[in-house]
Amino acid sequence: MSTPKSNRAPVGSVQCENTSLNLLKANDFVAKIIRDRLQEMLVINICSAPGSGKTTLMQETGKLLKDRLNMAVLVGDPETERDAIRMKEVGINALQIVTGGMCHIEAQMILQALDHINLNGVDVLFIENVGNLVCPAAFDLGEDFRVTVISCTEGDDKPKKYPRMFLTSELMLVSKSDLLPYIPFSVDAVTKDARDINPDLEVITISSLKGEGLDKWCEWLMNKVKNKKENLIMVNN
Amino acid sequence: MHEISLVRNIFRTLEDEYPGEISKIRGIHLTVGLLSNVQPILMQNAFEAVLEDVPYYRQTSLLVEVLPVLIYCDDCDINTEVKNYKFVCSCGKPSRNIVQGEELLITKVEFADE
Repeated sequence: MSTPKSNRAPVGSVQCENTSLNLLKANDFVAKIIRDRLQEMLVINICSAPGSGKTTLMQETGKLLKDRLNMAVLVGDPETERDAIRMKEVGINALQIVTGGMCHIEAQMILQALDHINLNGVDVLFIENVGNLVCPAAFDLGEDFRVTVISCTEGDDKPKKYPRMFLTSELMLVSKSDLLPYIPFSVDAVTKDARDINPDLEVITISSLKGEGLDKWCEWLMNKVKNKKENLIMVNN
Repeated sequence: MHEISLVRNIFRTLEDEYPGEISKIRGIHLTVGLLSNVQPILMQNAFEAVLEDVPYYRQTSLLVEVLPVLIYCDDCDINTEVKNYKFVCSCGKPSRNIVQGEELLITKVEFADE
């Protein structure tokens, strides 16, 4: 399957050079720098469609774990600082990345943001990506894990429509579970659809407003932080 | 997705790789895996649009080839094409071992012969 060449076809004889130049080479290079720099903390890239409840989840996670975990959030949006303000209101160390209309965060934006946020003693850094299930899937931000949030109001047929996002995620959080009694959404169906793409995907159903499932999410998070710290100790010894 | 910025990435990559030879480039072959979410037609349109701003590529054409997704199965030692985004081997075993389909590569560059 290929498109025809444009009508600006070359004239005269032509020499060919075979290459394999990766177009995302620059992004992947910067992602590695971030990964090397943030070895002492867990880095989670949170992705979802707009309005799935990423920021509310961050607020509730911050409240629940404030005595057990030192967390920070870099939050990306095309415009406004609203989300960072919402998180600071509940005492979370947050910094807004305004992408200026761009549909995703690139590694370079994270690297620059690291100079403007105090990460001393931070156990987990969340990167709350721009609400979009397509483009962010292609950009490595130096994270340890990608977590995708899908709210039950979006419909249980979404994973196969956005396969790469679910393929590259470690965990899927099905959010707004308090609405489940009122809408035709099946957690089993969305789990099956997502696991067709990624059989290893973990799934937790949550409601940030009512608290359901947040204990499991916090436990998942604490375990990943612990594993990262243990690995760091092993590497240093 | 963001085809315009990808086209700019193509030019930036070529300028890094072939400094001083940009004006001789006549053809760019792009290989994109199905999972890269790149649409060939949109890529072609974005290419034409960006050329309005960068005259020295105006004799250059773009060819985009899309590769299907292939997964490898340990048990069967074969590659299977992923259809309908079911990442399952023909034997029924799921696999995340993607051997093809995530590419976003410039695979060939054609230069004018002087």
